[in-house]
Amino acid sequence: MHLRLSSLLGLGLSLSYLATASLLTITIPPSTNLPNPHSLPASTHATLTTLPAPGAGDRDPPHILTASLTRGATLVFRDLPAGHPETYLLDIRAGEYVFAPYRVDVAADGSVTGIWETFRGNPWENRGAQKYVVDVVAGEEKRPETAGGDVLVEAKLLGKKAFYEERASFSPLSLLKNPMILMAIVALVLTFGMPKLMENMDPEMRAEFEQQSRSSPLTGATNNATAGGGFDLAGWMAGTAPSPMAVAQAREAQERESASGREAAAAAAGNVRKRG
Amino acid sequence: MRLQVVLPLAACLSPVVAIYSDEVNHIDFHHALLGAPSPDSTFFLKPSSSSNASLLYTISEKSIVGAVNPRDGSLIWRQDLGRFSSSPAGPGILRGLDGNSAVVSAAGDSISSWSAQDGKLIWESRLDGGAVADLELLELHDASESPDSRDAIALTSSDGTGVVRRLDGDLGKTKWEYKDTSGDMAFQVSSSPTEIFYISLQPALLKGYRIKVTALDPVTGRQSRHVILNSESDVTSQESILFVGANTASPLIVWTDKSLKTLKVNVIGTKHVTSLPIDNASGLDIGEITVHAPRKLNSLAHFLVHYKTKSGAWAEVYHVDMKSSAVTKAYNLPYLQGQSVVATNNINANVYFTRMTDAEAVVVSSASHGILGRWKADVSTSDPALHAVADVVTKGKSVAVRSAVIHESGDWSLIRNGHTEWTRPEALVHTVAAAWAVEEDLEDLAHELEIEGHESLVGAYIHRVKRHLRDLQYFPEWLKDLPKRIVTSILSDEVSNLDSFGVAQSIILATDKGRVYALDTGRHGIIKWAIQAEKTSDWDVKAVLANPGLAEVFLGDGSSVRVKSSTGEILAKSPPTDVKLQTIATINQPAGLSASQNGAIGIRGDGTLVAPLDILSGFLVTTTSDGRLLGWARKDSKFPVWDFVPPAGQKVVKAVSRPSHDPVASIGKVLGDRSVLYKYLNPNLVLVTAVNEQEHIAAFYLLDGVSGKVLHSVSRAGVDPTQPITSAISENWFAYSFFGDALEESSAKGYQLVVSELYESPLVNDRGPLGSAGNFSSLHNERGDSLPLPHVVSQSFVIAEPISHMAVTQTRQGITIRQLLCVLPSSNAIVGIPRHVLDPRRPVDRDPTSAEAEEGLFRYAPFLEFDGRWYLSHSRDVAGIKTVLSQPTLLESTSLIFAFGGDIFGTRATPSQAFDILGKSFSKLQLVLTVVALTGGVMFLAPMARAKQVNMLWKST
Repeated sequence: MHLRLSSLLGLGLSLSYLATASLLTITIPPSTNLPNPHSLPASTHATLTTLPAPGAGDRDPPHILTASLTRGATLVFRDLPAGHPETYLLDIRAGEYVFAPYRVDVAADGSVTGIWETFRGNPWENRGAQKYVVDVVAGEEKRPETAGGDVLVEAKLLGKKAFYEERASFSPLSLLKNPMILMAIVALVLTFGMPKLMENMDPEMRAEFEQQSRSSPLTGATNNATAGGGFDLAGWMAGTAPSPMAVAQAREAQERESASGREAAAAAAGNVRKRG
Repeated sequence: MRLQVVLPLAACLSPVVAIYSDEVNHIDFHHALLGAPSPDSTFFLKPSSSSNASLLYTISEKSIVGAVNPRDGSLIWRQDLGRFSSSPAGPGILRGLDGNSAVVSAAGDSISSWSAQDGKLIWESRLDGGAVADLELLELHDASESPDSRDAIALTSSDGTGVVRRLDGDLGKTKWEYKDTSGDMAFQVSSSPTEIFYISLQPALLKGYRIKVTALDPVTGRQSRHVILNSESDVTSQESILFVGANTASPLIVWTDKSLKTLKVNVIGTKHVTSLPIDNASGLDIGEITVHAPRKLNSLAHFLVHYKTKSGAWAEVYHVDMKSSAVTKAYNLPYLQGQSVVATNNINANVYFTRMTDAEAVVVSSASHGILGRWKADVSTSDPALHAVADVVTKGKSVAVRSAVIHESGDWSLIRNGHTEWTRPEALVHTVAAAWAVEEDLEDLAHELEIEGHESLVGAYIHRVKRHLRDLQYFPEWLKDLPKRIVTSILSDEVSNLDSFGVAQSIILATDKGRVYALDTGRHGIIKWAIQAEKTSDWDVKAVLANPGLAEVFLGDGSSVRVKSSTGEILAKSPPTDVKLQTIATINQPAGLSASQNGAIGIRGDGTLVAPLDILSGFLVTTTSDGRLLGWARKDSKFPVWDFVPPAGQKVVKAVSRPSHDPVASIGKVLGDRSVLYKYLNPNLVLVTAVNEQEHIAAFYLLDGVSGKVLHSVSRAGVDPTQPITSAISENWFAYSFFGDALEESSAKGYQLVVSELYESPLVNDRGPLGSAGNFSSLHNERGDSLPLPHVVSQSFVIAEPISHMAVTQTRQGITIRQLLCVLPSSNAIVGIPRHVLDPRRPVDRDPTSAEAEEGLFRYAPFLEFDGRWYLSHSRDVAGIKTVLSQPTLLESTSLIFAFGGDIFGTRATPSQAFDILGKSFSKLQLVLTVVALTGGVMFLAPMARAKQVNMLWKST
């Protein structure tokens, strides 16, 4: 790269007769995030930043250049400092809008030799899309719209910063979307709607349905639970219901005692079921 | 080679909550300031020929050009000229003309034209030939030019050479220039409808100056003629000339003789000088003479001369005859006691003068002395007025006037028909030091509790009962307020009034203009009181220290001023000592249960202490002017305990320590697998920044403040020493930021933020050499070896912009995660970066393991983009901030933030969300309605359920 810089330097010198005061203009094109570049705040500005080589002096030439936003939504750098070939970091800062940083190479005579996109946190040599470059061989610019030493590039808008948090607004619809509420509504419909539905059914259908529901494992399980087959956690915690171990032992004892007892219990369960 | 820009995932992972848009102006406040307006460059102007309403434009003494809405005093736009020009900006000049869509400013050697409507740049031009001495806009313009842009005439002067240039109104290009190399002192430019005048002061043979007026052709810039006025006996310097008019039908030069007996008036371009006797009826010495004349080509050639004595003022109105250039006195405004300011403006050709005195404001026409409007003066402010600009409107016979008054303090207010509409506290722009006020009654309770703690059981009980009985007197009042409080708490925005939780605190500010202010951060930062502690324009404030009930301002000459923090009453002033202080160290030490002891020690430029450290049980570290660091122990102000000299070529530029209030909630960091990394918690840490300006090296040293031992050091080449290098340290971590250049093509270029964490050992569940020790010593321990070194983990990030100041949020217990508060000067914002984003243990080049993800770590990305939600200043343009203060409140979630230095900005930060406050989203009404609905449901369902249960029991058998 050192070699390359020096070749650029030579080029800059040869060009110096036509590029005495170089003008670098950055235009801000309209984009989806920024349909009207004229709406940018007045504090919008661009900076060219670099650090001169050690010993070159810190203020001479100035190594931090700033340009304010103009009425035409452009940022214009005049009189880029001459003396040393420099490679600048171009930042555009505009409130909530985020622009891509550029790399701007400037020759010793203050004329721009090349502008590329660059990526923060990446090596400086890792250049992105080329925005402008002086053709080394022909000694003339590639872009037709630039004349003299003036350079025109477009800024690239990356995005927009969102400063504010959205407050969740209360709406009855969002309440209905809550799965808990939905489950409650379904349960409500079942408890109130099912008996009505059953009443309206003709007796044959009802009998068939009852037969079906008796054999269904799901309703069987619930019936078991209502019949005392399940474990009553709240009761056990409160001390009013026996612990599951005690229940199991009791049941074993019951089973051993008589099989007819179990049948009786099943019949009782059937009664309960019938009542629905 | 291309790489897609990797935006960090931080945004989606972080639990950080930004400000809600309905909390703006509720939890935060912002005074967008300009600085004291410059009297000659303040005016009302219609921003474009199509608009009806005019704005108020000014350039301040801080070289900030701004446009203010005269209706409410809000800032429309501003541009800091000092920010863009490298040369030190002198007093700036701002000019605007009705019908021109631009205002033109000059500061130093640069002239810029700004769009009057939105403050965007139209053109800027750097003139060679010295600083701009004068600037005028040409009202006449060629027919070929666009109607809403006027050319500017600029005069630059540098040792004996004056250059007059005509600059194009659209592009800023020089149309012509006239160079005066005669060695005369370039003074001003002026214009008449036909000519441009260049006025210079020609040294006379013996002493004094003769006024030389050179007439230039407006189109070509060629000299057409010149006139020399024999004024050498009167004019000794530029200040002797009172007034040079411009843009009037008959521009004037006004000066007086040395004895202030005669007023001399010359119509520019003529040779004739009219001498008018000054009719001093009061007999008092005239202190100040000001001339007010309209600045418009078509206005009547009338002017007013305002004479001010020590105790009062009067004014005389003169008319100029256009043909004969004769000046005649028309009438006078009578002598009145007290302050008096006059403003002039014109409607078409008519000229109106507005005079504001202590008692009243009157409007007169220049043609006759009849008073057109008279209003009683607003007596709410005691701040004397210095200058005013007025905007008079006529409606039939009656007039209305609004005048923008510049006060002595620098504040700016608008008075409409005698009523103060708004006041902009521009003087706050000079704030150099601030401290949170400590309330007295809080201390009282703490004191009482302390007494109870020290007494016997019975005594303490009696004391407490007595205290509670005493408190009973407030009970009826509290009871009376209760219904109101309940109603307002349901209806108001904020669910609970947080003022009693320390969210509304006062802050004491001191400016370098000798003023002390108290702002109430709970009520939008309004000024509670303001005093002029010292009549000076260069008050060398070093520190403000707040003690219960009072605040003390320490100055560089060793003196101090003590004020009552509730009223601003000056309690005591201590005389200056003969030592020149570099800084003041303020010390805040916990003493007793909840009280703390404050103290201050002056430090000289060479880093030595003025007095021994009597009140302090710890240590003190000072920097010296030659770039070293000294460590001091108690009771010895002669010899430092240790001396830290950085490597050759480096200079210590900054040293920071942990904040005095820096509680640590957990001594270790629990990892995903439930093992613990122990934090290196040393209260005596000092982070030192040293810079080698020649070789562009920045080095950071972590020292133990007691022993001076270097615990950790890091150095970075390619650092720009002229750009801000900032650092902050808290708990067991520190951060610093700088501009790092690409040393070679493979390294990155840009601003960097480095964060380092300190642990006792690199191994988990291990405390390294400390073992199970409960405490440690900086100097020695049983094993003979001194302080163990920390295990340091660092990660650096590239950031998009410079950081000019860093601070850390402080909360009461330190349980809430911290935010690194960074001032971003280039985007005029304050950002609070959550600590967990700046975790140096973030996995690099791989995704986090499940254990790491549980810990909250996410993949490292070299570029740290500031998320919009981290911006404490959100969309506000908070400019010129030099210091950010953070103060814990009684709510653990909330930290108060206050920023000053240019603008004044205050907000509440809730880094872990407002977990102990019911926010605005919590609706009490909704809660009540839900409870009511549920009760209704239960009442409806209960009989049904009961009937069903009964049925079940009956039918089952």
